[in-house]
Amino acid sequence: MSHHYLQFDRVSYRYPGGREALRDVSLRITHGEKVALVGANGTGKSTLLLLAAGLLLPTDGEVSVGGIGLTPRTLPIVRQTVGLVFQNPDHQLFMPTVEEDVAFGPANMGLTPEEIEARVTAALESVGALHLRKESPCRLSGGQKRSAAIATVLAMEPSVLVLDEPTSDLDPRARRQTLELLKRFSHTMLVATHDMEMARELCPRMIVLRDGEIAADGATETLFRDTDLLDACGLEPPCRMR
Amino acid sequence: MKNSLQNALCALDALERNARTESPMHRLDARAKLLATTVYLVTMLSVPLPQLSEILLYALFPMATATLGGMRLGPLLRRSLAVLPFVALIGIFNLLYDRTPALRIGPLTVTEGGIEFAAILLRGILSMAALLVLIGTTGFYALCRAMQQSGIPRFLTVQLLFVYRYLRVLLEEALAMSRACDARSFGRKHPALRVWGTLVGQLLLRTFDRAEQIHRAMLARGFTGRIPDCTAGKPRWRRADTAFLTGWSLALIAARWSYPVETLTRLFR
Repeated sequence: MSHHYLQFDRVSYRYPGGREALRDVSLRITHGEKVALVGANGTGKSTLLLLAAGLLLPTDGEVSVGGIGLTPRTLPIVRQTVGLVFQNPDHQLFMPTVEEDVAFGPANMGLTPEEIEARVTAALESVGALHLRKESPCRLSGGQKRSAAIATVLAMEPSVLVLDEPTSDLDPRARRQTLELLKRFSHTMLVATHDMEMARELCPRMIVLRDGEIAADGATETLFRDTDLLDACGLEPPCRMR
Repeated sequence: MKNSLQNALCALDALERNARTESPMHRLDARAKLLATTVYLVTMLSVPLPQLSEILLYALFPMATATLGGMRLGPLLRRSLAVLPFVALIGIFNLLYDRTPALRIGPLTVTEGGIEFAAILLRGILSMAALLVLIGTTGFYALCRAMQQSGIPRFLTVQLLFVYRYLRVLLEEALAMSRACDARSFGRKHPALRVWGTLVGQLLLRTFDRAEQIHRAMLARGFTGRIPDCTAGKPRWRRADTAFLTGWSLALIAARWSYPVETLTRLFR
């Protein structure tokens, strides 16, 4: 197995309409690393996450997860290895009950009913949402939906967690709970966010994107002190560092 | 429009909520309910149109299964009436073209076309009621899975599931747009006609985008075009399922071939 668990090698992605979302992106994320992905709107953060989760195939370059190159043939295993939490939980939760939604991934993996049940319970317990298992996702609050969305991914026991704006639209308490929850996980993590405070608190490493390219990659604290870089990328440091 | 969208969403919610309650009907295997309802629809729809009283007898099936499934008959009938405009459109020609007098009620002459029209309406309502009971005591997802297990081609069952899911997405997006429109319409009841085209186009684009996101979420969790069984720990086919399916099938087929109402009427004459 590769030391670099998630690896992008000169990856470019162009949408069918012709818009180039990512250009020549190379990055390596090792086991257990927590990396923040920041950048202004439209810089390619979500596209990068979709490529990491095997939901898009690069137009150029190579993406590999745990040493397995991303190709149409390896999509199922990559999707099983990388768990993607969508920005909008309403897009992620589509089953009639939370329990069935969490079971959807394990059921697709061909597990036995007993294994599915064990995974559903464990995943919901780990996000503190066991009491919501019989609820309809439509009836949950924003924070509860976020927890349920994370549980749907955890139930597949992925090695890498890829999260798109996990704290957006959350009230302060729900944001804090989500942050504390993410801190507890030992997964390799790639988190796209505009929440600079969260990036500082959760991720020791940060990648800054600008116009589909990597503008900087380094220690979060160091990059937050580089005001010229942040200015050029349309970002601001967290309040505590101003 | 906003209220009717909200009502439609609430009706979908109520149906799915009902599917998650507990009752003898809910405990039955989805395949047993699906097959019994299929037998019901085939036998009921094959009763000749002039036999209105025989068709009426078939109301027993949705009434009994709804009661067994804890569904209230009043709201069920109200929701079943939604099908009326569509079946009326089909049956109206019988009313117009077949004017042969069939019976007299006081000064009123009922034509054969009139009886057939009533029979078509009744068939529509009963079919809708039976399907609502089936969805309301099974859940749409479990139902599609039961279809897949019963040998119905996968592309059909998955399409059906997606259409149902898309219906919800469409309603949610339409409601959000309608609210956004109302918020800037300053009391105007309906948007101007030229705005409608833009709204419908936007609605399609938004629902398409959202449907694509949901599809991505499904792919990210290993969806390969097969509806997986997400109801871990639920019981499999039991004796009660066999009894339910056999009992109703025999009763429905017997009712279809023996014309019980006509036979009883003849006996008591």
